[in-house]
Amino acid sequence: MPAIRLENLGKTYRGGWGKKGSVSALRNLSLEVREGEIFGFLGPNGAGKTTTIHLLLDLMRPTSGTAQMFDRPAGDAKVRRRLGYLPESVNLHTHYTGRGLLEFYAALTGIPPETRTGRIDQLLRLLKLEEAAHRPVTKYSKGMLQRLGFAQALLHEPDLIILDEPTSSLDPVGRKEFRDILLELKRQGKTVFISSHILSEVESVCDRVAIMDKGELKRIGTLQELSAPVSVKLTVRGVRGDLINALTATSAEITFARDEVVIKCTDPATRERVETLLAEHQLTAERTEVETQSLEDIFFSALGPKKEM
Amino acid sequence: MKTTLLVAVDSIRALLHERLLLGLMLIALALIAIFSVVLIGERKMMTRAFTAQAAANAPDDSKAADTADVDVGPAHSTVATAPTENPPAKAPVSGHNLSPEDRKKLAEQMEQMSSIFQGFFYQVGSFGGSLVALFIFSTAVATEIRQGTIRITLTKPVSRPQYLLGKYLGGIAVMAAYALIAGAAMILFARFGQFDLSPATRFAPWLMFCRQLMLGSLALLLSLYVHPFLASILAFFAGNGLYSHANPLFYLLPSYSAFNLFGQMLAGTLLNGKDVLLLSLYALDFVILMLLLALWRFRTKELV
Repeated sequence: MPAIRLENLGKTYRGGWGKKGSVSALRNLSLEVREGEIFGFLGPNGAGKTTTIHLLLDLMRPTSGTAQMFDRPAGDAKVRRRLGYLPESVNLHTHYTGRGLLEFYAALTGIPPETRTGRIDQLLRLLKLEEAAHRPVTKYSKGMLQRLGFAQALLHEPDLIILDEPTSSLDPVGRKEFRDILLELKRQGKTVFISSHILSEVESVCDRVAIMDKGELKRIGTLQELSAPVSVKLTVRGVRGDLINALTATSAEITFARDEVVIKCTDPATRERVETLLAEHQLTAERTEVETQSLEDIFFSALGPKKEM
Repeated sequence: MKTTLLVAVDSIRALLHERLLLGLMLIALALIAIFSVVLIGERKMMTRAFTAQAAANAPDDSKAADTADVDVGPAHSTVATAPTENPPAKAPVSGHNLSPEDRKKLAEQMEQMSSIFQGFFYQVGSFGGSLVALFIFSTAVATEIRQGTIRITLTKPVSRPQYLLGKYLGGIAVMAAYALIAGAAMILFARFGQFDLSPATRFAPWLMFCRQLMLGSLALLLSLYVHPFLASILAFFAGNGLYSHANPLFYLLPSYSAFNLFGQMLAGTLLNGKDVLLLSLYALDFVILMLLLALWRFRTKELV
């Protein structure tokens, strides 16, 4: 059973009057997020990431298609018991202290009073908010609000955690701690759906990623599946002069190191030609190094040229 | 039900932290207090003037009348349509030698004055309460949508109807507290001013509360369509008082004026329990209808 299933999900924002000026924010988005995986949801501003999350949380109604969590419709009360959500702009009730706010949400999510205090203490400790626990939320910094928002999302130990730009207000130390928490959640078998601009953060923790642009899904898969090889380096020993002449005639880059020759092929045709030449001379590569794309390369190649995040 | 109550309690806490609301409530109560002091002072001046005039007309009593304040005792507006034939038993002009006719005249004047004072007192309290109700109900949900706080709450196991009803209950609790305070102020006003509360005035806090809930429920519904400020203005001016019985709008729009006791206090109309019950049922009908419409609208409303 997938944790999230979106089928042909679409959302069009209508203009002021009638259909003039309407904006299609999301078009026919279909994807599945498996239970227990960390799923990265990437895209530039206006790609439709937050719209997708809002549809998934039933804060908006889709123009077309369906959104499901754990095989139940988005917005189902039973599903919400298994869901934790951290919005992009963490707007929390300002009439509470940090602890008071968590107590309110704990009561709403049905955490029994006898375990409530322990769980809140645990999260305050985990997110380094112990000292600020009795401070009014209005006195919290942006980073502290994000931590408190993260705490409320994890409060009832949900099976699915949806995070929208979760580290945008955190410093590098906070980001590292956040990554560690995500990995711990993964170890516990939780599903995490994370929308982020910070590619390095996603790259280091996500099992699979989806790349969105202009309301459409451009790519989806594991990093290995998405990354095309950039180049292949073949290291060969015992290469004779006639073979070197043949190799230099191809577009491969040849470098010599003592008794080794390193042949770098930047396209599949060259690699095929080089391998044929080596086979003709009854030689095989001692080492083969495949250089793949980084997530950033994948991201920008998915979006096309000159795309800014 | 538990979830609805949790949302209601949260709503009350939020309202208690709302400086603008507290300011409005304080202004309303301060107005009531100032008005009470002014009216009581006015009443004393009128009594003195009357007694002086009576003393001038009756030279024998002049010395006594000039001496001090005149205590005319509690004034009655209860049966203004059937003025008392004799001076009220509880209204002796103690310590002064006014003639029985003067006493009767004074008592009648006190009755009229009492009705007017209580009517004005009610108007001030009711207007202040209406502002508070409009503020509370028009911003209850709309502000949470605008600020984005609703997004987290509604991703918890809280259904939209539970959320809306919780917000409404929170508003009702605050308005009930306001009505209680206004009622207590009215009793204190009557006690210090030595007025006798008329039956119409006795029902005033309850009918004021009903009227404010009607205003509030309409403002809440409208705030799901338009800006809270505009919703408040529309709700406030939506009464059918401007339309005749022949106009269909008279039956569509809420009848706030029926809950306004000002006219009844001035005219001295007697308001009995049956009238109050009918008005309460009307208010209940209206509030339920507005809530159902608000629930219907909120069910599909986009919250971002």
